[in-house]
Amino acid sequence: MSAPTLPIQVPADDPKRKQDQKETDDKTKANGEVKEGEDLSDEDLQLKNELEMLIERLKEPNTELYRPALETLRTLIRTSTSSMTSVPKPLKFLHPHYPELQTLYETWSPTEDKSLFADILSVLAMTYSDTQPRGTLRYRLLSASLLPSSQHISEPGLWGHEYVRHLAAELGEEYRVRDLGEEEGEEAEPVKPTEGDEKDKEDGEQQEQKQKVDLEPVGTIDDLCALAMQCAKFLLHHNAEPDAVDLLEELEIVHKIVDLVDDNTYGRVCQYMIACVNLLAPPDDVAFLRTAHAIYAKHMKLPEAMTIAIRLGDQELVKEDFHAPRNPSMQRQLAFLLARAQVPKEWVFPEDSEEEISEDLLDCLSNTRLSQHFREFGKELGVSDPKSLEDIYKSHLENTKTTTANVDSARANLASTFVNAFVNAGFGNDKLMVEADEGNSWIYKNKDHGMMSAAASLGLSLLWDTDVGLSHVDKYTYSAEEHIKAGALLATGILNTGVRTEADAAMALLAEYVENKSVSLKTSAIIGLGLAYSGSQREDLQALLLPLIADESVSMEIASLAALSLGFVFVGSGNGEVSSTILQTLMEREPKQLDEKWARYMALGLALLYVGLQDATDAIIVALQAIEHEAISKQAQILVDMCAYAGTGNVLKVQTLLHHCDEHIVKKEKEEKKDEESSEETKEEQPQKDDTFQAFAVLGIALVAMGEEIGSEMSLRQLNHLMQYGEPIIRKCVPLALGLLSASNPQLPILDTLSKYSHDNDLQVALNAIFAMGLVGAGTNNARLAQMLRQLAGYYYKEPDCLFIVRISQGLVSMGKGTITINPFFHDRQIMSRTAVAGLLATLLAFTDAKSFVLDKYHWMLYFLTPAMYPRFLITLNEQLESIPVTVRVGQAVDVVGQAGKPRTISGFQTHSTPVRLGTTERAELATEEFIPFTNVLENFVILQKNPGWEKEDKMEL
Amino acid sequence: MGPPGGAPGKQPPKDGEKKDEPQKKKWEPPVPTRVGRRKKKGPSASSKLPPVYPTTRCRLRLLKMDRIKDYLLLEEEFIGNQERLKPETASQDKNEEDRTKVDDLRGSPMAVGTLEEIIDDDHAIVSTASGPEYYVSIMSFVDKDMLEPGCSVLLHNKTNAVIGVLADDADPMVTVMKLDKAPTESYADIGGLEQQIQEIKESVELPLTHPELYEEMGIKPPKGVILYGVPGTGKTLLAKAVANQTSATFLRIVGSELIQKYLGDGPKLVRELFRVAEDHAPSIVFIDEIDAIGTKRYDSTSGGEREIQRTMLELLNQLDGFDSRGDVKVIMATNRIESLDPALIRPGRIDRKIEFPLPDVKTKRHIFKLHTSRMSLSEDVELEEFVTTKDDLSGADIKAVCTEAGLLALRERRMRVTKADFTEAREKVLYRKNEGTPEGLYL
Repeated sequence: MSAPTLPIQVPADDPKRKQDQKETDDKTKANGEVKEGEDLSDEDLQLKNELEMLIERLKEPNTELYRPALETLRTLIRTSTSSMTSVPKPLKFLHPHYPELQTLYETWSPTEDKSLFADILSVLAMTYSDTQPRGTLRYRLLSASLLPSSQHISEPGLWGHEYVRHLAAELGEEYRVRDLGEEEGEEAEPVKPTEGDEKDKEDGEQQEQKQKVDLEPVGTIDDLCALAMQCAKFLLHHNAEPDAVDLLEELEIVHKIVDLVDDNTYGRVCQYMIACVNLLAPPDDVAFLRTAHAIYAKHMKLPEAMTIAIRLGDQELVKEDFHAPRNPSMQRQLAFLLARAQVPKEWVFPEDSEEEISEDLLDCLSNTRLSQHFREFGKELGVSDPKSLEDIYKSHLENTKTTTANVDSARANLASTFVNAFVNAGFGNDKLMVEADEGNSWIYKNKDHGMMSAAASLGLSLLWDTDVGLSHVDKYTYSAEEHIKAGALLATGILNTGVRTEADAAMALLAEYVENKSVSLKTSAIIGLGLAYSGSQREDLQALLLPLIADESVSMEIASLAALSLGFVFVGSGNGEVSSTILQTLMEREPKQLDEKWARYMALGLALLYVGLQDATDAIIVALQAIEHEAISKQAQILVDMCAYAGTGNVLKVQTLLHHCDEHIVKKEKEEKKDEESSEETKEEQPQKDDTFQAFAVLGIALVAMGEEIGSEMSLRQLNHLMQYGEPIIRKCVPLALGLLSASNPQLPILDTLSKYSHDNDLQVALNAIFAMGLVGAGTNNARLAQMLRQLAGYYYKEPDCLFIVRISQGLVSMGKGTITINPFFHDRQIMSRTAVAGLLATLLAFTDAKSFVLDKYHWMLYFLTPAMYPRFLITLNEQLESIPVTVRVGQAVDVVGQAGKPRTISGFQTHSTPVRLGTTERAELATEEFIPFTNVLENFVILQKNPGWEKEDKMEL
Repeated sequence: MGPPGGAPGKQPPKDGEKKDEPQKKKWEPPVPTRVGRRKKKGPSASSKLPPVYPTTRCRLRLLKMDRIKDYLLLEEEFIGNQERLKPETASQDKNEEDRTKVDDLRGSPMAVGTLEEIIDDDHAIVSTASGPEYYVSIMSFVDKDMLEPGCSVLLHNKTNAVIGVLADDADPMVTVMKLDKAPTESYADIGGLEQQIQEIKESVELPLTHPELYEEMGIKPPKGVILYGVPGTGKTLLAKAVANQTSATFLRIVGSELIQKYLGDGPKLVRELFRVAEDHAPSIVFIDEIDAIGTKRYDSTSGGEREIQRTMLELLNQLDGFDSRGDVKVIMATNRIESLDPALIRPGRIDRKIEFPLPDVKTKRHIFKLHTSRMSLSEDVELEEFVTTKDDLSGADIKAVCTEAGLLALRERRMRVTKADFTEAREKVLYRKNEGTPEGLYL
């Protein structure tokens, strides 16, 4: 050794002291070991002595002995078995010597031995983590740096799990500290309004930084990353996928995990990553999704990859994934998924491409067979027979005390129209409209605007049935009665919702009426188009409807509805042309016009363009701030903001929305106490300051929170407080928000709350609560809910408005005879259907001012729900796309993310034969292994492939 | 019956169920009939936080917890703002006023009765200890959520109307079992038994402190353990050490306590015991001398026997019945495991059976050391001699030897214990020990 003198001097005293200690030890031993705090068994004692001897040897000048000594130490540490409850023995005995060894280490000259020494120190530092910042990592890096490049440091995994975990934790910390050090505290991001908390954190960091000054950092960020990759690899191999993801995420290199995962681990890694997405702050969540997508794509799990691509709304990825499989069945399966998500066909087959699309594929892609399958499904379930109104009302169970006839029979008939339409939706065989004779049709039981809704109900009844439906509707389009004609137009639009046809009937039939003079024909044509082509992003519609918005001479009603229509068509596309036109209109229209109730739909039209686009809305929000008309500017900002973050669970947005609700817009405080007169008050207040935006903010809370379970549960609490403290305008929107939060998902607590609200003093609140009950139970046939509604029907039998809504809710609850859902989340609640969100929002917006929309003559707005309606079935198809029955188990979905082993994904299951109906929180799995599904999520249409014996599953991929 | 005392303008203290109808309307819809009849456990649904999965420690869990925290902060902020904005002056006085009014209405003294049945919203049948049952009205200020058949209610002294609900508390007998003062014995006071300590730690302590470890491994932590072995081997001592160490609620009961005078009281006590345990979860229930009630079932004509067996059946149900017990761990101790009912100690109820053997040489040495560490021994005492003898000495025996030796020394007013003392003490202890079983009489 070149400098042997140095190491001798420092430890020169130590051995003596050590000996002294030993002597004392011996003395105590002679005393029967009483003083020795811990009684050591013989083996332990031997181990301890051996370890001490080894340390002595390290302190001696003889460098040749170093290596064997170190190696023995290493083997001793590695071979010791540890128990869950205690520290491994060698570490325990070495623990007191750590500081000594540290000083000793500093005196060594850099050699391979020193590297080995550093490695051991690194392990020892685990027992000392609090005294020195990140000792384990430090020595690990030192050890690596001391080695010649030809040699590689031993795998961290050799030291055991605890060591790797420790290392991983320190890596994260170290990275954070270094990152912060570089940016000099600029990073201080006020994520939450907790001052105390943040202060603590900062204090902690400062301390850490101070400590760091003492020790010069070892290694570069790259070294850290490399080490992290090693650890991650180890973790992945030992079933600690979450830990691996967490580690890489902390070092901001999560994308690198793509190369690390293998066939065994990728599934769990992706699951975990996807579960994290909703909880991560913006840039990270997209990064996670993209990484998960890359992993799935790499492992040819195309349906999963496609799910993420749709979630991202990334046209390129969707196209890529769609064209990736060579198996036509797989492609069809993907097409079904795209059709369910209402992704425009042009995304995968651009118009300019000359590619030949097979007819089958096109059918899948445009949902053409939806109606046919749905009816077969109904037949299988035995619900294809039409239901009469009395089947729904069950009025013999209502405890109406008096036998007085209905106060308002026109209202009752109108309600019946809707009930009939919702209940028999899609089956096309209801008694009142479709099957009725020309003269006897229920239409003629309605008056004026009622006829329009009645005629339009035909569309709902014949939903998705583009062939037969049109012929039924057709006869009404020639009606002399303007309302019937308008209704027929709307029906044409409705029945084409979610289904695309070659014939493009809706466009052909409705386009001409857009220019019609009659207001009602015009509006229904516009809305019809919007519904029929919701989510299709068709350019020709833009050309057709944009002039209506831009033209200032057109009434606000028409312009707004045109904007809404375009909102439906271009939902979530961020279409610049449409948005700029709407923006222009909002800026240029007279303030008086913007005060109209219709203005909110103009704003909604704009907002819908940005559904799910998150921060892409910054520019538009700035533009909206410039609008002079204060009320509409604020409304539009809130709407755009909440739509952009719909279903993300972003807490910051919830916070801003909640802030909007803070304000009490009442001129005098006295009035607040007189809750009883609240319904009258709302009207008086309006001229002073517009408070509609608060209504939207309440809806916004639900809209933002609904995508994520924790958030939606916690937002219930917020809504509770809003109900308690809020002004009437807020209170009446709370039930609607609840309805949005758990659409088609009747959970008991929510039902209880709504039931309470439905008896509120404020009739508006009660009314909305009743409607929300309808939403919550939509298409579930929930018996408890049905009973509550029946009771409400008795309770409100003298309130025509409430009764009307009660009836409609009853209709909603048995929507499609319990086969249709309006929940915007599908595919195992992973994807949010943008069109469904648009539909729900448009409906709810009508209820923020129910008196002037739904309860007035615009009850047809209830049909806005159509884009959200979709059958909740599971139909299994063979590769020829014919329905085949297989046995499946259906049960409540269980969250299995991050759990060990292969836990069951469903609980409390029942075995059925397909086709089956799936509840919102239910999941299905195949009962036998006879077939292999092409997709992981059994929902909607699933193509099955016969399992060829016992071959490997991955064979199905190609 | 309307709000009593004719105070229609004043809202009674929030009753959560009914709201007064708008005054302006001519017609009043009937009030919905909803009386809370189910018993709520723990915090009410509205204030409960959503459960967080997965239970492994990972970032996802952290994120979820953070999310909950964020929402709670939002809530705090919102309520803070609202409270600040609220025109706050009169309401407190009003509250005060309302309270005194309610107190007036209640009158005093109040009788205590049992609610037998709820007839409709404002009427119920109650019975009092004196005998007769009454059909009485329920005052509107009574929290109807709390009313359920069988609960104790406060009754007006004259009209017998229900004026309040008494919180249904646990059987006072059970509260006695709760250990308020931790015993002083710790793990350090146990000689040897390392294996046993580790096993009990793994199956009782760790599941309460680190449930995620088990989750990660994908197993359910054991529900309970049984400690068995010949007398004096440290079963109770170990339980004491557990109680000393843990911060969980420690309930201890002796098997014989579960045998009660009246029919049905024993099973009820068991139920109560476990209910209290669950309410105070995480908790550890220690049942000493389980053989008092846990012996094998057999056909018995004696009513007392049968009652004891029923008590055991209730215990079986509580251990692994239909309802899952949360963070409740059970430790049982017996020295006659072979006489226990097999159903009681089957896996699932008692997952770990920890045997306490007679101490081996090493342990004996340790125990001797423990007990003699505070005694002043004379030079000639060679503990090793006692340690290595082949006598079947249990831990308790060793303690007895040491104590006896000390007593002997005391008798002679010596300050030191000599070897002779120890030898004599040992003879004595061994003699006593074998006293009960005359050697070779029946063999």
